Amino acid sequence: MRPFYFLLLFVLAACSKPAPSTQLQLDSVYPPQSGGVLVDAMTAEPSGLIPMIAAESASSAIASHIFNSLLRYDKNLELEGDLAKSWDISKDQKTITFHLKPDLKWADGKPLTSADALFTWQLVTDEKTRTPYASDFKLVIKAEAPDPLTFRVNYAQPYAPALDSWSGLQIMPEHLLKGQDINTTAFARNPVGSNYYRLAQWKNGESLVLSANPLATQGVPRIDKLVTRIIPDPAAQFLELMADNIDVMNLDPIQYSRIVPARPELKQRIALYKELGNGYTYLGFNLKHAPFDDKRVRQAINYAIDKQELIDGVLLGLGEPIASPYKPGTRWVNPQLKPYAYDPAKARQLLKEAGFVDHDSDGILVKNGKPLAFEILLNQNKERITSAVLIQRRLKEIGIKVTIRQMEWASFLGRIKSSDFDVVILGWSLSLDPDQFSIWHSSQNHPGQFNFINYNNPKVDKLLEQGRLELNPDKRMKIYHEFSRLLLDDSPIVYLFEGYGLPAIHKRIRGIDNPAPPAGIGWNSQDWYIPEPLRRKEISP
Amino acid sequence: MMQYILKRVLWMGPLLVGISLISFLIMHLAPGDITTTEASFNPKTSQESIQKLRKLYHLDEPVIVQYGYWLKRMVKLDFGNSFASHQRPVFWQTKDAQGNITKGMIQQAMPITLMINVLSMALIFSVALPLGVISALTHHRASDRAITIFVFIGFAMPGFWLALMLMYWLGVLHNLLPISGLHSLDAERMGLIAWTLDAGKHLLIPVFISALGGLAGISLFVKNGMLDVLHQDYITTARAKGLPENTVIYRHALRNAWLPLITLLGLSIPGLIGGSVIAESLFAIPGMGKLFYDAVLMRDFPVIMGILTIGSALTLVGNLLADIAYAWADPRVRRGVAG
Repeated sequence: MRPFYFLLLFVLAACSKPAPSTQLQLDSVYPPQSGGVLVDAMTAEPSGLIPMIAAESASSAIASHIFNSLLRYDKNLELEGDLAKSWDISKDQKTITFHLKPDLKWADGKPLTSADALFTWQLVTDEKTRTPYASDFKLVIKAEAPDPLTFRVNYAQPYAPALDSWSGLQIMPEHLLKGQDINTTAFARNPVGSNYYRLAQWKNGESLVLSANPLATQGVPRIDKLVTRIIPDPAAQFLELMADNIDVMNLDPIQYSRIVPARPELKQRIALYKELGNGYTYLGFNLKHAPFDDKRVRQAINYAIDKQELIDGVLLGLGEPIASPYKPGTRWVNPQLKPYAYDPAKARQLLKEAGFVDHDSDGILVKNGKPLAFEILLNQNKERITSAVLIQRRLKEIGIKVTIRQMEWASFLGRIKSSDFDVVILGWSLSLDPDQFSIWHSSQNHPGQFNFINYNNPKVDKLLEQGRLELNPDKRMKIYHEFSRLLLDDSPIVYLFEGYGLPAIHKRIRGIDNPAPPAGIGWNSQDWYIPEPLRRKEISP
Repeated sequence: MMQYILKRVLWMGPLLVGISLISFLIMHLAPGDITTTEASFNPKTSQESIQKLRKLYHLDEPVIVQYGYWLKRMVKLDFGNSFASHQRPVFWQTKDAQGNITKGMIQQAMPITLMINVLSMALIFSVALPLGVISALTHHRASDRAITIFVFIGFAMPGFWLALMLMYWLGVLHNLLPISGLHSLDAERMGLIAWTLDAGKHLLIPVFISALGGLAGISLFVKNGMLDVLHQDYITTARAKGLPENTVIYRHALRNAWLPLITLLGLSIPGLIGGSVIAESLFAIPGMGKLFYDAVLMRDFPVIMGILTIGSALTLVGNLLADIAYAWADPRVRRGVAG
């Protein structure tokens, strides 16, 4: 009978009340101070710490603490100098000259000069380097380092996304990488950089530990150590957060708005933040297939979809509708544009104008004997599936029959890349540079390219070309405002929503901007601090 | 006998080639390759860089040619390097010109999975054997029924759910055990005893979860074996001789009841290197299950093939060992094989 006792014991104990909360003074005010350890978690392990090779978010999340670029984005997502003190653009906009800050040093004490920048450019454009990001840098016809503080690049013609590309290229140390095979070098697991932190330890599959770099080019950070644990399962991550074993994690909408608020003990310890996410979800039409070649049909569907309903139902209200493919709060968003309102009457009228009528009163619109019916293709993504179901219902109300097909990613991608679909639900991540040539330009619709919806508007093509040639941010802004306006009017895709990033951070971490600026709360993580009395006892450095 | 073993060993070669060919073909039936992962869907990646990668890994050639390349490397026991951007060796470490050692992927994951599986196997056998014997001895009585119900609950319980409940109950509510991971963050600074204790605490729930599901099979095996044996004539003879009941059961009956378990042990050898994706993800354990699953999602063919090959080789070896052990333990089988 013993097993029964065990089970009984288990059930009884599971119902017992939670352990008492910590006695920390979490709501007191403390002045900034140095030291302490911050523990966070990520779901995937970086494959290496040279971002141009690894080309994945897990890698760049860690590498951004270790390496610097020439430029970076500030809290409002405007470019500012990182290793560069300033930069000049020549009159013909074809030459960019970067002036480096003086006395820069690598973490091993060696000087960091423009020669390292030149070396990094050679590295990324080398045929043997297996990086997906070479194309931006191959446009440079000449790069030179005339003196240790000056780095100059020449383009055959003005290339506006260049500045953004230099903010994404982390400068590598020439003295450690020269003559090595960048694809397989041991440096990828034992990097030496110039930013706030350096890698102290990497336990395979378990954790990465970064410690403050005393020679950091941007000043020494306040928190001594960053520990990143690799916990693939989000539920396990959340349990670790509840048990106070990690300080930071990104929540999903249910954890954010239901689970945490329902637990006073957790709410007392954890501060919730909200920052704009870095991507949007959309419904895209294959413009080569009838009836989506008719703008009125696309607009009608746009009017028939209730975006707020999607945000409430899918994201529990934690998202925003958008009207242009840019991050809200940045200069590239055209403030005059508003998303299509939910207006089924207008949708019906537009469809009627396009020739769709319900002859036999079966609820489905018909034109030339063909019913208005299509399939929405999507991959196995919970948010997108729920959205599709809600959209299916709204479109049924105006007389469109929708079926939904979900597919495994690789097969799905095969159909997308060969434009073998009617309507698709997908997401684009938002790059910080406004150039979206590869997504919308009519020349980019060959198999494998990214204009798989076959969007083709000569006016938009022209604007996209102009936008690439104009380096002046204010003039550029006007171009992309106009581009967004045309795009919204053409409605080749329906912007569904942009979800928030929902970080939860233990209240022992101070100095976090709330509300979050456009760049997100992480922009000043070097100034975050952990007051001495609130630090974890067991893992003091 | 030796001749029989030799023949079996020689057969393994062609069998392995056949298995690997079928695995290779099935693997390529799945759509996509390393260049069609979710991460590759990035407007910044140029079409040339994708083509370059496909050419480099011979992904643009017919499957059978690709298999040829793989087989050519395999006969030299070279498992190759991963297609992932880190390009680490699949199986064992390599040393570069500067003397930096890059560890192999299987080399790092295998010991962890092996340890968990050996521990859970030991736990299964040490619990299932007595449970099976008690069940057989009290057949159709309350304790037999209780044990059967318990092991079936363990078998039917969704492991991930129970794992989450235990993590919540023992880790969050009572703070008795760590929730996930293999070591505490300050494990480096511990002494050997503290370190072992720490690792043991981390392994407690994962080993328990992985053992619970295996209890039912083994204990029922033992129980049925015991029941069969207990009705044999020689048991009646032993009892008639006036031997103490303990001697009858543990010396005469149990030994014979163990025979089928030898086969079971042999067959579980390949299972020792297979980890559970769900358990490993939940407990954040970098083992073989997660390695294989990630490799499949990424279409990292060398890693998939490496793990499959090692798995099938171990299956063949396990089968052979089970047969040999069986022959060694049971004279009837031995005579049959020799004859």
